[in-house]
Amino acid sequence: MEALSIQIKVNGHSHRLQTFPNRRLLDILREDLTLTGTKEGCGIGECGACTVLVDGEAVNACLILAPQVDGREILTIEGLSERGSLHPLQQAFIDHFAFQCGFCTPGMLMAAKALLDVNPSPSREEIRQGLAGVLCRCTGYIQIFEAVEDAAQALLETAVSGIEGTAGAAIAQRTEEAR
Amino acid sequence: MTAPFRTIGQPVGKIDGVELVTGRARYTADLQFPGSLQAVARRAGVAAGLLRHLNVEEARRSPGVVLVLTPADLPGPNLIGILPPFDQPLLAGPEIRHEGDSLALVVAETQEEAEAAASRIVAEIEPFIPLLDPEEALHADARKIHANGNLTFAKQLLKGDVEAGFAQAEVIVEDTYRTSVQDHAYLEPEAVLAVPESDGRLTVYASCQSPFHLRGHIAVNTGLPASRVKVVQPFVGGSFGGKDDAVTEMGSLAGAAALKLGRPVRIVHSRRDSFLGSHARHAAIIHLKTGAMRDGTIIARQAEILLDGGAYASESPFVVMKALIHVAGPYKIPHLRVDCRAVYTNKRQAGAMRGFGVPQVTFASESQIDALARKLGLDRWELRRHNALTVGEANATSQVFHESVGLVQTLERVKEEGDWPACLKRAHAGDNPRFKRGVGLAAMMQGISNGAEGIDVVGASVQVSQDGSVLVGLGLTELGQGSRTAMAQIAAEILGVSLEKISVRQVDTDTVHDSGPTVASRTTTVGGKAVWMAAQTVRTSLLEMAGLMLKAPAEAIELGLDHAYLRENPQAQIPLAQVATAAYWTGFPLMNLAFSRAPDAQYDHETHQGQIYIAYNYGTHLMEVEVDTWTGKVRVLRHLASHDVGKAINPLGVEGQVEGASLMGLGFAHLEEVLEENGKIRNANFADYQIPSFAERLPTRFLPVEEATSNGPFGAKGIGEPPLAGAAAAFTNAVSDALGISFRRLPITPQRILEALEG
Repeated sequence: MEALSIQIKVNGHSHRLQTFPNRRLLDILREDLTLTGTKEGCGIGECGACTVLVDGEAVNACLILAPQVDGREILTIEGLSERGSLHPLQQAFIDHFAFQCGFCTPGMLMAAKALLDVNPSPSREEIRQGLAGVLCRCTGYIQIFEAVEDAAQALLETAVSGIEGTAGAAIAQRTEEAR
Repeated sequence: MTAPFRTIGQPVGKIDGVELVTGRARYTADLQFPGSLQAVARRAGVAAGLLRHLNVEEARRSPGVVLVLTPADLPGPNLIGILPPFDQPLLAGPEIRHEGDSLALVVAETQEEAEAAASRIVAEIEPFIPLLDPEEALHADARKIHANGNLTFAKQLLKGDVEAGFAQAEVIVEDTYRTSVQDHAYLEPEAVLAVPESDGRLTVYASCQSPFHLRGHIAVNTGLPASRVKVVQPFVGGSFGGKDDAVTEMGSLAGAAALKLGRPVRIVHSRRDSFLGSHARHAAIIHLKTGAMRDGTIIARQAEILLDGGAYASESPFVVMKALIHVAGPYKIPHLRVDCRAVYTNKRQAGAMRGFGVPQVTFASESQIDALARKLGLDRWELRRHNALTVGEANATSQVFHESVGLVQTLERVKEEGDWPACLKRAHAGDNPRFKRGVGLAAMMQGISNGAEGIDVVGASVQVSQDGSVLVGLGLTELGQGSRTAMAQIAAEILGVSLEKISVRQVDTDTVHDSGPTVASRTTTVGGKAVWMAAQTVRTSLLEMAGLMLKAPAEAIELGLDHAYLRENPQAQIPLAQVATAAYWTGFPLMNLAFSRAPDAQYDHETHQGQIYIAYNYGTHLMEVEVDTWTGKVRVLRHLASHDVGKAINPLGVEGQVEGASLMGLGFAHLEEVLEENGKIRNANFADYQIPSFAERLPTRFLPVEEATSNGPFGAKGIGEPPLAGAAAAFTNAVSDALGISFRRLPITPQRILEALEG
């Protein structure tokens, strides 16, 4: 098999890598870049433990091959906290005991981030759909659910506090209605 | 200790939470060592047979291969097991007993190379007709899977005079119940990494549940003294009883290969390997007969339980005892006879899984309680309440508890909060031809501690540094259940230290005392007691030192908020760091190793009558469901779970256990079944084996009951396992109620519901 050169940006850092076309994004992250926060649970895209964001979209890193990520931007769990402080989702997961063994947590957090990025005030059904691709065997999902709702609220309040007057109030009201 | 508690009973997040949400927590497969090799086992692929010849030559010549390990290369006895009979070879042959038997281990530079080479091993196997039916396996003329025959273990429980009891009974109900194989399906597949050290020792990093058990087996099988083997447990991605035997096999093989090669060797199971090569929950066949008086008083019960143990004994003997003791349920039944057996078959071996025999027998028992209520025309809640165990009454083993029997309280809480009469009215009110609603109840109990499984001792260390921070070590392991957090809370409470100042180290067999396996919901109860004891001694040092500093007797001092202060005059206070520093320079001990030993089980081994467990967790579950009779899909509309936990050290952690175990119970009762065909598993992946997802989550509401036990720290009793059985049985009874059909086999999948509806 012929080697292949790809250019990717991971958590804000650019990398040029020599790899092979049959290698999965998961292998590149875990082995080449030693970003082991992304986990392998099933290898066939069913458990979502390897969920990362590729150009903002949640994907299973075990189902994507090296050529498919050439030139794209990837965010992993290691890049979720900014400037040393936890992302509101991370804090909410801790506060709500939203994990036990923690193995699914990186994937769960990335799926939740993808959801809240495009839909800042999701309904319960939208949260359910947004996270349905990530399996957790320890919790009953209830505490995860509460954590995501809480983080959405926290993120929105941060966003709203930056918007003047009626626009902010309107967003806050819409959020309340969505609940 | 003066009330109120500062830390105990407070809802706190996990103390290792930041590591877990940032991806910094390293699991075994995440560890990197230079020069590491990858290893893959070649599995038999045939359920039963005789290995005539194993040709590994082509594999040895494959690219990247450095070693192919065969039975002849193993320095030790090539045998593992939990307790006698130790009957599982690391590498099998000539007898093949199930398709997942490992025949050889291929070690190569990369995973791909190891896998490719493993597929080039040629195994000539003369196949046998596999013995798959546990009842057939017990026939006198059945082929023997092991030299001593196919009966793995058998035990009996006798209480009162069961014949006399049935003779007296006015009503008798009798049925046979079956359960299926459930996989642990922890998200992290099993992994080990064996590293030969420069001082001649061997370090094995393992996603394991019982590090000392692993150390012993690795030592024997590699020919090293146990003290020359160190097992380190990194973060573990769930275990639920499963990361014992399989990891023992992997650790021993990786250890042998690493020592031979002088290089680190890693084995990481694929999901398929996890299904084929680990242990699962015992499938069970339970004949159950219950006799009662017309007023509902149960007077006799007889049970014959057959557990399908698969190819090797593993934990079967202990699961036999647990099923035996729990089939009577949480009821006072004067006359009992239970026969429980485990049998070998040519299937994947069964071992420990959360609940340990209790979910199977609770399903049978609670189904039969409903059948009895129907036959007697009695209310299901009243029948349970009428027979419920209370303080001072003899349970199935004739053990009498004088405290901490909270069953009736859980029944009352569920009745009250659930509004039982309203549930009954609602159950069929909205029924239409397509959707049927029903309500189910289940009461249960589960023994806490090793009980009949042997001595129960846990070692813990507590060390206070001069800066007032605390390091806790415990011989039991964090598997995700939150035990490190609970242990930190216990130490924090006793030492008056804030939670942030406490570290609970991960287990490494060099630094903690052998405390047996992390099983039987015993960590908080027996382990927590050890931390409690270790912390008390250090507390005494701090009190005496602070007394000297504040010129007061030690009895007048209290510890709290990182300070020592006079109880009567809290303004007179000194930061704990100063007290600890002074204590160090004065020569007071600031570290202690303590052992908690649960009261020994004392019982008659022929009848299982006597003192067995140090406490029981009691629980009542209620579920309301809606069944779609067109698709067989079940929607759980409401789920109340009440458990007597003695004392909730961390309410958030307890909630997590109740919700998680309940959902695993729903999987057991409704979704999950390892399917085999001619002894080969045909759903060894997460596409075909379905564990509950977000879509199936239960609307669990936990209703705590706290009847303290003096055998646990602050009164606490374990909660890791019990809700699984309660939720599964309540689900079964709710679906049976909705459809008016008694389901006697788990799981009740949508398919089985449709089949039952078609009659």
